[in-house]
Amino acid sequence: MAWLTIFLIVLHLQLFVARLWAQDKYQVDLSDIEKEIQRAADKPYSLGGFLEFQPQIFGIDRDSAFSRLQFFRQRQDSTFEQYNFRLRLDGSYKKDPFSVFFKTDTHVRNDFQGWDEDAKLFEAYLSFKPVSGLALDAGKKVMKWGKGYAWNPASFIDRPKNPEDPLHDLLASTVATADYIRSFNGPLKTTTLTTALIPVYRYVNAKFGELYHLNFASKLYFLLYDTDLDFMVFTGSSRTTRYGFDFSKNLTTNLEIHGEFAVVNNFKLMSIDQRGLTSVRESEALSYLLGLRYLTEMETTYILEYYRNGTGFTKNQLEGFVDFVDAGDLSFRTTGDDGAIRRAKQLAKGAYGRPNPGQHYLYFRVSQKEPFDILYFTPALTSILNATDGSLVLIPELSYSPVTNLEVRLRGAILSGGKGTEYGEKQNDYRVELRLRYYFQL
Amino acid sequence: MRCGTFRREEMRVLLGLWLVLLLSSSGLALDGTEILKKVDANLQPESFESYRKLINIEPNGAKREFLLYTLKKGHDKIASLFLSPASEKGRATLRLGDNMWLYIPNVGKPIRITSLQSVVGGVFNNADIMRLDYNVEYDVRALEEKGNEFVLELKAKTGAVAYDRLKMWVDKKILVPTKIECFAATGLLIKTLYFKEMKPFDDGILRPSVNETDSPLYKGYQSIIVYARVKKRIVPDEVFTLEFLSRIETIR
Repeated sequence: MAWLTIFLIVLHLQLFVARLWAQDKYQVDLSDIEKEIQRAADKPYSLGGFLEFQPQIFGIDRDSAFSRLQFFRQRQDSTFEQYNFRLRLDGSYKKDPFSVFFKTDTHVRNDFQGWDEDAKLFEAYLSFKPVSGLALDAGKKVMKWGKGYAWNPASFIDRPKNPEDPLHDLLASTVATADYIRSFNGPLKTTTLTTALIPVYRYVNAKFGELYHLNFASKLYFLLYDTDLDFMVFTGSSRTTRYGFDFSKNLTTNLEIHGEFAVVNNFKLMSIDQRGLTSVRESEALSYLLGLRYLTEMETTYILEYYRNGTGFTKNQLEGFVDFVDAGDLSFRTTGDDGAIRRAKQLAKGAYGRPNPGQHYLYFRVSQKEPFDILYFTPALTSILNATDGSLVLIPELSYSPVTNLEVRLRGAILSGGKGTEYGEKQNDYRVELRLRYYFQL
Repeated sequence: MRCGTFRREEMRVLLGLWLVLLLSSSGLALDGTEILKKVDANLQPESFESYRKLINIEPNGAKREFLLYTLKKGHDKIASLFLSPASEKGRATLRLGDNMWLYIPNVGKPIRITSLQSVVGGVFNNADIMRLDYNVEYDVRALEEKGNEFVLELKAKTGAVAYDRLKMWVDKKILVPTKIECFAATGLLIKTLYFKEMKPFDDGILRPSVNETDSPLYKGYQSIIVYARVKKRIVPDEVFTLEFLSRIETIR
């Protein structure tokens, strides 16, 4: 594999470059360091980000439902390549008691469909801090609610994470928030009250829900007996009312447990059967997550999470959708009528196309920090199992930072599952990607 | 009766000896503890802000540098913010007593970390980077005078402390350490810290501005912390909370 070769070359190049820099004994130059610290300390602004190049190979499962939806007009080769270029810029400026923050993302992509470009303002908000325990923010901001690593059912404002890459930045919502923090002595060490207003209008949070409403959300946090506790609520007319709770605690210094619970009132889920008949189920959807993180003395980290998705489809409902795609595809190929398959494609952009549309999931990740004494090198293996249908994705990963600010990540994804299962019906059988990311600071 | 008298006299002598031993040992502990408290006060003010540069040097000479802004309050609260390199910028750590967290900007909640892990790699671990005062974590077990130095033997107060025992060489005149050896409970030498480059800081007190370490467990590796702009500063307790970790930059 060419990319694996590139990864190994980078690994060895680092050793070669390091040898060139080698010296007998490092001498601290205090005046240089003090000058650098002076510059950093007196600077009221920051501007930085990263440049990224990410080639990918997709191995297509030509029989799967999502592959046929994507390529029903034009049969695709069994593999295709994609080249992604990304520029992320983030910055801040502060003048007491105000601060401004922004984060932009420019993404250019090339694959068999040609070039595509997308520029987004990920975050941009103004923060006003009249006293140390109170902060008022307004603008586009990610709220980051919830304690789960792969999923956050109680995160009522942010867009859902991609569990295959939970650290990927999220596109923020436009909000106005207030955080009030109080500290105490005793078992209750901290409380924080967060309130948020979420306007939903034609040009503001338009995809959030029903337009022309101002919504309200709040979170109350406690650090009580060394346990993190959060209670959340969302209410408004753009979405139905929902309540949440989460917790996190270290049982020992190297074992942490966490959980999240969410109830969505009057949740409506539309499903479709083989004949294209739709049905709507309205219920109180209860979602929850339980997880743990364990660190061994050898610095191996294990993360395990179980997720019950109360807003997900049953096995029969997912199979019904796959049958509908089959029927639509057959109809298109035999009669040329693309009505059904175009309808299925539209549905795939909604609830059926979510990263995890089912009801029961298990997430497991094991990562080893700096094995074989290779500094800044971390191999990892992640798996996500749909516990209802037994399909899964396995994600092996090698990440390495050969020099300061350069990150190299080689990653694969192998999808496995039978007919009618979630991962068995995804577009790809496998995916391989190399990510080269260079961080900079101006 | 003679036998009984002898026993009473013997008892008195034994009691006297025991009292002498008790007084001398408590006096020793008091002296050692006082010295340790002065060492702590001379190393850093109780509440302060500072900038620190961490440098990890590998055997082949390659080095990696980190710049941190740090706030400490009282005996058990420390928060640090990474200012550089660009790949680490915005990360923040918090220590409240034995609890430690790491905040990574893209990860929602701060994650709990342990004292023997290292957020920067290299020889320094989290306990070195987020160090509390020595007298908070250690008791003085023995004090010895060797030329111009005191040598203190320290024992961890609880099992949650990163090193079970410390051997500390302290300059008698200025009461700052020159060298500390850190041992595991098994007696294994984990690392040696060297304190260098005495410099007057904001309050006029001479403090070592460079802290170097090496370890027999990491042969050829070296890590250095350089302190600058150490200033007395008392910030509200609210700064040392998980919710504030993402906002530390705003009070720098």
